[in-house]
Amino acid sequence: MNKELEHQFVTELESNQNIVHKVCSLYTNHRDAHNDLFQEITIQLWKAYPKFRGDSKFSTWMYRVALNTAITLYRKSKKRIRTQDYESVIFKIKADEYDETQEQQLKLMYKAVKQLGDIDKALVFLYLEDKNYSEIAETLGISEVNARVKMNRIKTKLRTILNP
Amino acid sequence: MMDELELLKKDWQKKEEHLPKLSYDAIHQMTWKKSSSIVKWILIISILEITLPFLLYLLPSLKEGMAVYEKSSFNTYYLWVSILYYIVVFYFVFLFYKRYREISVLDDAKNLMRKIMKTRRTVKYYIIFSLSMVLVTVVMMMMGVYFNNDFISFFEEMGKNHEHVSPEKFKVSLILSIAVMGGVMTLVAGAIYFLLYGLLLRKLKKNYTELRRLEV
Repeated sequence: MNKELEHQFVTELESNQNIVHKVCSLYTNHRDAHNDLFQEITIQLWKAYPKFRGDSKFSTWMYRVALNTAITLYRKSKKRIRTQDYESVIFKIKADEYDETQEQQLKLMYKAVKQLGDIDKALVFLYLEDKNYSEIAETLGISEVNARVKMNRIKTKLRTILNP
Repeated sequence: MMDELELLKKDWQKKEEHLPKLSYDAIHQMTWKKSSSIVKWILIISILEITLPFLLYLLPSLKEGMAVYEKSSFNTYYLWVSILYYIVVFYFVFLFYKRYREISVLDDAKNLMRKIMKTRRTVKYYIIFSLSMVLVTVVMMMMGVYFNNDFISFFEEMGKNHEHVSPEKFKVSLILSIAVMGGVMTLVAGAIYFLLYGLLLRKLKKNYTELRRLEV
């Protein structure tokens, strides 16, 4: 493929890489796995890039490809090694902005979200990224009503994980 | 809970600065790496599965087995079955390629998974078809041995010494060993296939069912 397209793609991905990193941090527990997933998403984005052609925003388009890749990628049994220190790097919370209880609460919340299934994680991710229900529904291929129903179920699920 | 999730949302949007940052060169290198997506795995495994039965026919022992039919009245039947077999195989290859091309990472999650499952199902039917063909071949071989009266002369030609064994007994034991061999081969091939795909697609199937169940 031509050099110019490649340069354009890498530049756009470089400035939007946060989206991919966030997906990786939700779907993996481990730095190596994070990098593997990032690489796979990059490959998929690049393969699909010639079809992109700017009819929507590059970032909007990235959400779909990144989540699709994360949901369908075959992964061996989840490695739980080094989970602790990795999470503390990724989900670092500034102490001066929150009080102790809030910080504790957030840590528990992140942990609970990471325990969800692939589909539930995708919904939570899009919700956290401030996407509306019609966008969430469209990305997953379900109706808007069902996206809301599903989100409510996830909230209940999170509640039970947090208060067993 | 609602408030907590809102709180999480605020925090989530703040933590961008703690995310890893890859350089232009690092990303550029990644675009040249090989994909390890499930779709690619299905393609590789399917190509193996479609070519493997053909490679089996190249084995000398099977070729010898086929030689029986060149001398028998089953020759014509065998030819017709072969033609039918190749037509069906080509149909499967065509269908597989068509469905494989339909898979796009740009689809919504549900459609993407549906298409992956559909492609996989094509391979599954192909495998079931191949395995039944193996069984049909085995039955044909057994019948060939049973009904063929030139059978003994055929073995004479092949230089086998049958003087010490009664022809009837030899016939029965040959039929039985063909049956056992064919049965075991089919079972082993089937088991390998279902295990491989079962493991590879377990997670995807679960995710797909979850989304589909929501729509009912």
